[in-house]
Amino acid sequence: MSKNIFINGKGFSFEGEKTVLEVARENGIYIPSLCYHEKVGPANKCRVCVVEVDGMKDLQTSCSLAAADGMKVGTTTEKVLEAQRMVVNLLLSNGNHNCLSCEANGDCELQDAAYYLGIERPPFVIEEHKEREDSGAFILRDPEKCIQCGRCIEGCNRLVVNEVLDFGYRGGHTEVVWDNDMPLDDSNCVECGECVQMCPVGALIAKKGMGRARRWETKPVRTTCPYCGVGCQLDLHVKDDQIIRVTGTEGAQPNMGHLCVKGRFGYDFIYSDERLTTPLIRENDGFREASWDEALNLVAGKFTQIIEESGPDAIAGVSCARSINEDSYNMQKLFRSVIGTNNIDHCART
Amino acid sequence: MDTTERGTRIQDLIGKYPQKESAVLPVLQLLQKEGGNYLSKEAMEVAARELGCSASRVYGVATYYSMFNTKPVGKYHLQVDTCVPGFLHGADDIAAHISKKLGIEPGETTKDGLFTLSKVQDLGSCATGPVVQVNDRYFENMTAEKTDQLLEALKNGGWPDNDTAMKVVSKCGILLNDRSRKDCRTLALYKKNGGYQALETALSMKPEAIVAEVKAAEVRGRGGAGFPAGTKWSFLPKDDPRPVYLICNADEGEPGTFKDRQIMEFNPHLLIEGIAISAQALNSAKAFIYIRGEFSWIADILETAIGEANQAGYLKHVDIVVHRGAGSYVCGDETAQIESLEGKRGNPRVKPPFPANSGLYGCPTVVNNVETLSSVPYIINNGAAGFKEIGVANNYGPKIFGVSGHVNQPGIFEYPMGTPLQEILEAAGGVKGNLKGVIVGGLSVPILTAEEAKGLNLDYDSCARAGTALGSGGIMVVNDTVSIPELALRTIEFYEHESCGQCAPCRKGTHTIKSKLRDLVMGRGKSDDIDLVLSLCKNIKGLTLCPTGEAFAAPVQAMVAKFRAEFEALVKR
Amino acid sequence: MTNSFREFENNKLIFCIGTNMTEAHPVASYYVKRAVNKGATLIVADPRKHALADKASIFAQIKVGSDVAFLNGIMNVLITEDLYDKKFVEANCEDFEALKAKVLEYPPERASKIARVPADQIREIARTLAVNRPGALCYTLGITEHTCGKNNVMSTANLQMLLGNLGMEGGGVNPLRGQNNVQGACDMGALPNVFHGYQAVTDPAAREKFAKAWNVPSLPDKPGLMIPDMMAKLPSKEVRAFYIFGENLANTDPNIANVEHELSSAEFLVCNDIFMTETTRFAHVIFPSAAWCEDDGTFASSERRVNRVRKIKEPPGQAKPNWWIFKEIAKRMGHEWRSSSSREIWDKEVSPLAAPYTGIKYARIENDGLQWPCPSEEHPGTTFLHKDGKFTRGKGLFQAIEWTPPAEVEDEEYPFVLSTGRRLFHYHSRTQTGRAGMDQKLSEETADICPKDAARLGIANGEYIQVSSRRGSVRVKARVTDQIPLGMVWMAFHFREANANWLTNNVYDPQTKTAEYKACSCKIEKIA
Repeated sequence: MSKNIFINGKGFSFEGEKTVLEVARENGIYIPSLCYHEKVGPANKCRVCVVEVDGMKDLQTSCSLAAADGMKVGTTTEKVLEAQRMVVNLLLSNGNHNCLSCEANGDCELQDAAYYLGIERPPFVIEEHKEREDSGAFILRDPEKCIQCGRCIEGCNRLVVNEVLDFGYRGGHTEVVWDNDMPLDDSNCVECGECVQMCPVGALIAKKGMGRARRWETKPVRTTCPYCGVGCQLDLHVKDDQIIRVTGTEGAQPNMGHLCVKGRFGYDFIYSDERLTTPLIRENDGFREASWDEALNLVAGKFTQIIEESGPDAIAGVSCARSINEDSYNMQKLFRSVIGTNNIDHCART
Repeated sequence: MDTTERGTRIQDLIGKYPQKESAVLPVLQLLQKEGGNYLSKEAMEVAARELGCSASRVYGVATYYSMFNTKPVGKYHLQVDTCVPGFLHGADDIAAHISKKLGIEPGETTKDGLFTLSKVQDLGSCATGPVVQVNDRYFENMTAEKTDQLLEALKNGGWPDNDTAMKVVSKCGILLNDRSRKDCRTLALYKKNGGYQALETALSMKPEAIVAEVKAAEVRGRGGAGFPAGTKWSFLPKDDPRPVYLICNADEGEPGTFKDRQIMEFNPHLLIEGIAISAQALNSAKAFIYIRGEFSWIADILETAIGEANQAGYLKHVDIVVHRGAGSYVCGDETAQIESLEGKRGNPRVKPPFPANSGLYGCPTVVNNVETLSSVPYIINNGAAGFKEIGVANNYGPKIFGVSGHVNQPGIFEYPMGTPLQEILEAAGGVKGNLKGVIVGGLSVPILTAEEAKGLNLDYDSCARAGTALGSGGIMVVNDTVSIPELALRTIEFYEHESCGQCAPCRKGTHTIKSKLRDLVMGRGKSDDIDLVLSLCKNIKGLTLCPTGEAFAAPVQAMVAKFRAEFEALVKR
Repeated sequence: MTNSFREFENNKLIFCIGTNMTEAHPVASYYVKRAVNKGATLIVADPRKHALADKASIFAQIKVGSDVAFLNGIMNVLITEDLYDKKFVEANCEDFEALKAKVLEYPPERASKIARVPADQIREIARTLAVNRPGALCYTLGITEHTCGKNNVMSTANLQMLLGNLGMEGGGVNPLRGQNNVQGACDMGALPNVFHGYQAVTDPAAREKFAKAWNVPSLPDKPGLMIPDMMAKLPSKEVRAFYIFGENLANTDPNIANVEHELSSAEFLVCNDIFMTETTRFAHVIFPSAAWCEDDGTFASSERRVNRVRKIKEPPGQAKPNWWIFKEIAKRMGHEWRSSSSREIWDKEVSPLAAPYTGIKYARIENDGLQWPCPSEEHPGTTFLHKDGKFTRGKGLFQAIEWTPPAEVEDEEYPFVLSTGRRLFHYHSRTQTGRAGMDQKLSEETADICPKDAARLGIANGEYIQVSSRRGSVRVKARVTDQIPLGMVWMAFHFREANANWLTNNVYDPQTKTAEYKACSCKIEKIA
């Protein structure tokens, strides 16, 4: 049964159990939020997504408020904006929220909220310095940008169940810790990068992309991971011909945005200087470069000769379990229809 | 302790709980004790292994609770309570005295490794301040001279006696007993005075009938919120297959409050009987007393009393476990307490779901304050009508008030609900000096000026009408020697220390307000800072996940608004 | 896999045998761990106490190579205690009596002696499996890489049929495939006995169909050679030309010394690759290939899902797509192939020529891939196979299977069992991960041994030791870990130095020709 809620005076229908934030987002209404993530649900921590609801005394967090038929919600009342502005100002009041140098610039939920609320600079500042933590091979931690939303922790414990991250300490000292508050590289962290993908700001950063492109300069290209057989879907964030970073494709089968360390960070072998760039033909103890025509003719000629002399079964081939289907298809087609043998296999059982 | 013995003891602790991870706090407490009052990372790893949870989970818990020393401390850890009641009683002087005497600043340890000095927040000994906690022992009513004696005794390996003297008046004689008797805690004496008759009556009643009686008595929750206990009980789902848990909230941690410990320490069987009756009413086979960790000797008293009651066959229907907290004010919130009891950081949960439907381990749960549960035997013995003969309309029964600060005889007073403030202050020997203001319900309620306090009756409704709250009934009296900006700074320091940190307005708000108030008190503040503090307080009220936001925003806002001139006078010109 | 990854999270029971999922298939393991957190029962059987074992409610630390006996023991309990799914067995299976007769020879006590786990644990597992249905069974190479690999696989199928755990969501026999497209390479007919879509080369109708489609008069009707047989025939020149596409056999096949001998005796070796490898050293011609990201195409994952792979850049230099290379060779041997892109190959050849893929077209897999069988363009794909107990051959055939030990077992001279596998931070011979910064996480091979063996031999964690088998010897760092049982050495094959394949035994399952990577005997010595 379809139900209706009114947001800022306008009616919106929705089906089933939904939160006010979900209904608003589905209808393109922006409510700033920082700790909510659809993969882990409401956290109720940031208190930025508050709205005013007719008949309720206090402001309500839209991420956890169930939308009810006939509910009247205001997302832009002065009371709402004042509370939102205060919280964002508080979050900006310490740390280092410098968009100029931040990798997340253009893809930052705190930046979006501040922009929406018209905050040009934090009205009050309380100095506090925290060191960056650079021990990880692929992940940089910048606690000065952390807003303690807890999404990385939820991701680590509830989604990928690696159980390395948690909150440590209390109150204003609350920090995300790796194991016993260890440097990342000494901890049990496997750098799957789920935390990086969950981070709404620039507190957890994929190192490989640092300084190489602004977020708006890259375009996502969906593809399939080249490593194990799970078939994870990933988005390559590409600028020119360069992969700047990789994220799991949210909502995609089968991985729903999750990746492992290899899928997320193991992509740049394609840019290696050691790539083969020309056909090579053996000469003495080494190889010499050759043209495609020469190399292809040599192979075709040799195959033809062996077929004539010894029959097609004197040729055998191994296909590749790493390359695309279409390559394997053409290789077996070559062996069966051109060479005339079924001597085609690959490492099917290992 | 060798590793096998340690393993056995850890397994024993785990065995007390329906779920393994609930034993995180007791296991860490054991390991800290074993480690010479220090909890090393290695010890935390042992705990994580034994409890089958992640290292970060245990570390997160250990660094959340203030009683865990994750950095080494001296053999004697001197902890001076400088929170508001202590401050009013001169605790700063004691801290300064120790500092001078030992040549160390707070947070430091003497070179010989004997002493570490810390300033701590609220030890729940408000009328007997200044108080110094040494490891797990309290030394109350401290003076410079007694401090010297204490240090001397400790150096020589001894422990001096504690001076617990304060005024005790029980007009009602229901909750407080005669503590001057050596056998005041015994089952024998309790029984002689008619104890456990109510339980016997209750065990012959239908559970619904007990609930109905408590509901009819309209006993309002004594933890501070004043929600009717019987109504809370009636929220439990009917015919639910899940076990029901009863938690007695004994995490008395609001500055100015020290009432529950009076029952637990001197009249433990009253509480146990109250729990036993309530468990019968709620069909709960497992009850917990969540007591603040600092009251370790009181926890021992409760365990002894539970042992006695068990042996006498009073607790066949319910297993009562005493669970020691580890230093967190927020754990006084019922959902934070449930989280803590599940072995987690004491972060309050979002409601709904309410504990009645989904509390401890996701099961139906009732959390009631010590004083509330201790009122239950009287209700059963005398009927709801009998209970309602005490107090005033909508505010029935006896109430324990604690009076600290600037009165001549601070102490503990059991009076009927609705008693005039003036009468209690007189019982406490009258105000010392000129009254400037009074905080009547623990530190979380707005201060009343001397003028506003005139003619106030101490019940929920009268206090609400006066723009404050009865809260826990912890009354702090402030005379005109006190600077309100300094008082406001102490107030916010407490909440900044205690904020669980999970929600942004509280975590960052306490920090910012403290910083601004400190600037003002130090004479480097700006006029804007006063407005900023007021605006933060205004917006934080009602915005946080749990009542803690309100608990600091309301009193700070009242102090600034009502005594603004004092703040203005501090602004740097 | 008969079933799908996303199901795992909501499963009631998951039985993992011979699969180190948290390292080899991390994302699949997330779902298994989430299922456990939601209350699912996890049973893990493995010689190593790896990370997933920590999450298991029952962990059976079975002896390497004991799988058949262990599984027969479980089935013995299911049958003798009358716990199996009689309805399913009667309706959907054949040859139950043969299975019963065989597993009755494996009472838990006997299975216990072979698998070296308590008989009562075998009973507990059987009873747990019986009451928590449906349950999914997952395995990886711990099952297949044995001389009895096929028998191991058949045993897992026996068990799931006996439990009635096939043909529904939450059940199934789920081999987690090691490589991104090993499923696809099989599907595409890179096998000696089938065309793509598993159409037998011995079937005249299939041959006729493909001959027509490929415009050739006839196609060979005799199944071809499998890899080990191809290589064995290189020194004798029975096989004169050998074409290796993208595989680094010199590092990844067992008994490297022998592999290299075979490769070096090839009369004419052609390689397609993206890098020089240990294998290309023996080549006569090397073609430079387009890599991942340099060509459009498809991979088929373990769950039979055909997913798109996209091009974002040109290949370096003159490197070319592999399909183009094969097409060009064909052209030079007199065959003009029409398709001139991956998309054309799939949409015009692969899809129409095999029923399972007929409904899969590039246009349909722009976003999520489709799971075959997908016989028409309206078909949503198949998330689990054998619905309602309908098997491909009709009824599910039970196989009576006898346990056989590994080809080489521990003896006085070589008292340890060597078992091998993959580690999280690297992939196979590191041609890719070694060039993607993963050496920062793991920079050299180790020989994993248990603390008791280490103590007995006076070996410290991190100390270099010598590990030797009848085939070779390597110097390698010892890693002392309680994941490993007494008497075992565990190594991977990611690094050329200290590669486990210098030691592994080149013996094979008689039917599948899968090598026994998981078991050979070895010895370890301190280096003075």
